[in-house]
Amino acid sequence: MKCVAVTPEKTVFDSEVEFVVVPLFDGEYGVGKDHSPVVGRIGAGELRLTLNDGSVERWYVEGGFVEVVDNTVSLLTNRACLLRELNLESVRQEYETARTLPSNSPELMEIRNESIERARAKLRAAEKAENVFSR
Amino acid sequence: MAKARALDKRRKSIKNIRKITRTMELVSTAQFRRAMERAVAADSYTKRIVRLVRDLAKAGLKTEHPLLAERSASKRAVLFILSANRGLCGGYNSGVLRAGIARLKELQSEYDEVELVVSGKRGFSYLTYHGYGVDRSYTQFDDKPVYEDVLVLADDVLKRYRVGEVDRVDVAFSKFVSLSKQYPTSETLLPLSSMTSEIEEDATNSSELVDYEFLPSPRSILDEVVPNAFRIKFFKAFLDAAVSEQIARMMAMKAATDNADQMISMLTTSYNRARQSQITNEIIEVISGASALQ
Repeated sequence: MKCVAVTPEKTVFDSEVEFVVVPLFDGEYGVGKDHSPVVGRIGAGELRLTLNDGSVERWYVEGGFVEVVDNTVSLLTNRACLLRELNLESVRQEYETARTLPSNSPELMEIRNESIERARAKLRAAEKAENVFSR
Repeated sequence: MAKARALDKRRKSIKNIRKITRTMELVSTAQFRRAMERAVAADSYTKRIVRLVRDLAKAGLKTEHPLLAERSASKRAVLFILSANRGLCGGYNSGVLRAGIARLKELQSEYDEVELVVSGKRGFSYLTYHGYGVDRSYTQFDDKPVYEDVLVLADDVLKRYRVGEVDRVDVAFSKFVSLSKQYPTSETLLPLSSMTSEIEEDATNSSELVDYEFLPSPRSILDEVVPNAFRIKFFKAFLDAAVSEQIARMMAMKAATDNADQMISMLTTSYNRARQSQITNEIIEVISGASALQ
């Protein structure tokens, strides 16, 4: 099975994988070999790729889509970086900033909620990364 | 001797200029390659997005979204003009500015207020000198626009559009088609009316059909696609501008180097002639002096 991750800037990942766990916006979604065609909306969170040799690569992705067809998983995402590259302190800061956004109109409220949700997911991923890699 | 020496001096200075223009040509050739690669990478992303929307359309979803709808209000518009930070690139900056100013006048006649945002020192100094009020300017988007940086701008303007602070967003930049074709143009980014037409066009000439399952629903996917289509379009404008700038500079510097070559050969000819006639003169003097002594 093939997995390709693309951001507008470049192709960040392109190789054979065994199993993929994609952070859809309402929960994680696992894709194995011969999966039926799916288009899904990516939220923010950890992308886990199990490579053919059994090792696991962890990425942080934010927004975009995943498309599964013909044993190819294509991810279109706005941001992608290795999970261990996230800085816990700055992510925490981002979360705090998101919480202080104004919310005095329905549209602003919506924007604020989206930002908070995204920041929270990012924080969760960063905290997890801290636990995984500090061991 | 005076004339020959002056010619030689000029020739030397032109040789120096040639060295500079030649180097600039080589540098922009290298930068053009890099900028080009980035533009191509962004292209593959755009194509996938377009294909996705096409599949959505096939799933029977009408492409309706607040960002796609034409607004009746005409209070405030934002115009981005993407110029270069440096000159010496032929008609690149003036072309972009001409397109930008034409669009600015158009917007000013339709909207109560037009906010002008300029990227690049050249555009900024031209527009302020000619008395167009520039509201904001950026100089960090040089020949390598970073998506993260552009995203900040895009999300900011997207947010203001969503809350109704802004009713229209335009961008003036140089569009890159091929190595031999780039032209200054202006496009409307929001409302994103052009997206649907492009996709419908695309949908008619494709036959393969995959029965996708949409998670959570086609509607929700569309909600995510549309803002992304805007972001990528905006980013593409920056990339195109960067590629076009490098091509323009490459061309301009190639022409300058060729001209310098021509001038050097001309000056060399006249220098040699001047030198020869000087020698002839001196010989005549010597001979006439010698014959006078006889």
